[in-house]
Amino acid sequence: MAARHLIIGGGTAGMNAIRTIREEESERSTITLVSAERPYSRMVLPYYLDRSIAESHVFTATGKVLADWGVTTHLGKRATALDTKANVCTLEDGTTVEYDDCLIATGSSAVRAPVPGADGPGVHSFWTLDQARGVVAQIQPGRHVVMVGAGFIAFTILNSILALGAKLTIVEVAPRILPRMIDDTGAQLVEAWLKQHGVAIRTGAKLTRIDDVKGRQRLKLAAGGDLVADVVIMATGIRTNLDWLKGAGVTIKQGIVVDDHLRSSVPNVYAAGDVAEGRDLISQANAVHAIEPTAQEHGRVAGANMAGKDIRYRGSLIINIVEVCHLDVASFGAWDDAQAEAASGVKADRPAYRKLLWRGDRLTGAIILGPSSDIWTTNDVGMLKGLVQSGVSLGRWKAHLKKSPFDIKPAFIATKTTSALLPETILGRPSKAPGETPVAV
Amino acid sequence: MSVLRIHPEKCTGCLRCELACSYMQTGDFQPAKSVIRVSPFEGHTSYAPYTCTQCAEGWCMTACPVGAITINAVGAKDVLDDRCVGCKLCTIACPYGTMFYDPATRKAFKCNLCGGAPACAEACPTAAITYEDVTTGDWLGDFARERTERVLAGVR
Repeated sequence: MAARHLIIGGGTAGMNAIRTIREEESERSTITLVSAERPYSRMVLPYYLDRSIAESHVFTATGKVLADWGVTTHLGKRATALDTKANVCTLEDGTTVEYDDCLIATGSSAVRAPVPGADGPGVHSFWTLDQARGVVAQIQPGRHVVMVGAGFIAFTILNSILALGAKLTIVEVAPRILPRMIDDTGAQLVEAWLKQHGVAIRTGAKLTRIDDVKGRQRLKLAAGGDLVADVVIMATGIRTNLDWLKGAGVTIKQGIVVDDHLRSSVPNVYAAGDVAEGRDLISQANAVHAIEPTAQEHGRVAGANMAGKDIRYRGSLIINIVEVCHLDVASFGAWDDAQAEAASGVKADRPAYRKLLWRGDRLTGAIILGPSSDIWTTNDVGMLKGLVQSGVSLGRWKAHLKKSPFDIKPAFIATKTTSALLPETILGRPSKAPGETPVAV
Repeated sequence: MSVLRIHPEKCTGCLRCELACSYMQTGDFQPAKSVIRVSPFEGHTSYAPYTCTQCAEGWCMTACPVGAITINAVGAKDVLDDRCVGCKLCTIACPYGTMFYDPATRKAFKCNLCGGAPACAEACPTAAITYEDVTTGDWLGDFARERTERVLAGVR
């Protein structure tokens, strides 16, 4: 069994791997963590932005916790090269770290629209803690914030911007909002809802340049109708941090190709999270799922295998949820599968929406939208995830749900989905509580 | 550990469990804030309460990005209010639909077995909910399958 583990990246995947190695190993190994940033959770940055939590709340492991875990740390330093023949990682300051096995979990970075002025003052990304710090000071009552991009990341901070009293305009190049999370019908409902709540939305709007005009930003749009903003936030996508791995001999397609044990093409090099191209639970094909739950599951499975266990990963499920102005919007699995059989129902006045997609009599994808104060929304969110995750045969319930797509709970219970789910665990055993770690200070 | 065992055939649909649960969890008699929910079957002629199974994986707990869900003294997965930020990741990670979110407090909440004295079980007048040291299970599946036959009979 490997005695020296190297974890590159202190995000969700890396921290879950470290914890799981300590949970699973039969004898104490050495663990070294290399991370460009102190370990923190990106998921909670929107709550730091709206000041409902202090900055200290975002950290997932303090120095003391890492020391208690017996982790040697190189924080604030990037890995710049991996020699997979000599088993050595080189850091940006020239430090070298030898390993017996290593985990690559270097995550993604925000990318900006390739237009003149995108890197100018007054234009921000909201992805890292440092970037969040830069935005926090800028969002103030009455200020006009223009968000470029209407994807999931943009939507996670929408409530925070409004809660701080700023005015918000969203500019999206695609013909509709949330193009990679929900379908046209869902997007129309969300767009109408946001407009009712005072958010201005420009879809199909191509940004051509940004100019600084006495401290304010003028955004030029191809179709005309320039916008003037006090603050511009670019949420125009993310890119995996893999450039540093060039020449390492690790097979990379969309991400680092990993097997069902999260191993790359180099057997003692694992990959997890945004950088890993692993199995998709629904299609069973390889895909990059740059979402928090995949990073967590990848990290735990990789950690267990690095600790000498033999854990096969069943594949990750795309799941996303975002709440905007008390409207829950969520999607699961292959919600955009054009070949699937589909049924949907809309209650425009609530608004509420369900879209269900099948291959055979198994639910393979779903979209759900509804008021967050509506208890049925929350019930259905989880149960749809359970139906997609378990892949239970719906039998005659399929025809019932096609007629009544809101009737999810009886279908879930009567198809004995609970029986199918109860034996499922990621590591083949009950999970342990976070306990002392990794929790914030 | 002891878990909530549901005996659906004994449920009369009186909703006392929901009242007791919401009072214990939030201080209000407000079934909308109960984490045990009574479902009707056969066109409201039979009923069964549904709640968290305290599953082995604890999908809510492992999904939480800030370690806000832990295992309490009686073995239940439990939300730490001062740590939860309300990001809702647990509500989509839980495949049973038994994580809830309170818009008023902006926190997730769930069944924590009332720390070992579940109010729902105590309130149930017919012992349709008992707190027992048994392996958790799918208490409603067979009952619901039988009680939905008529709903499905006309479906093709």
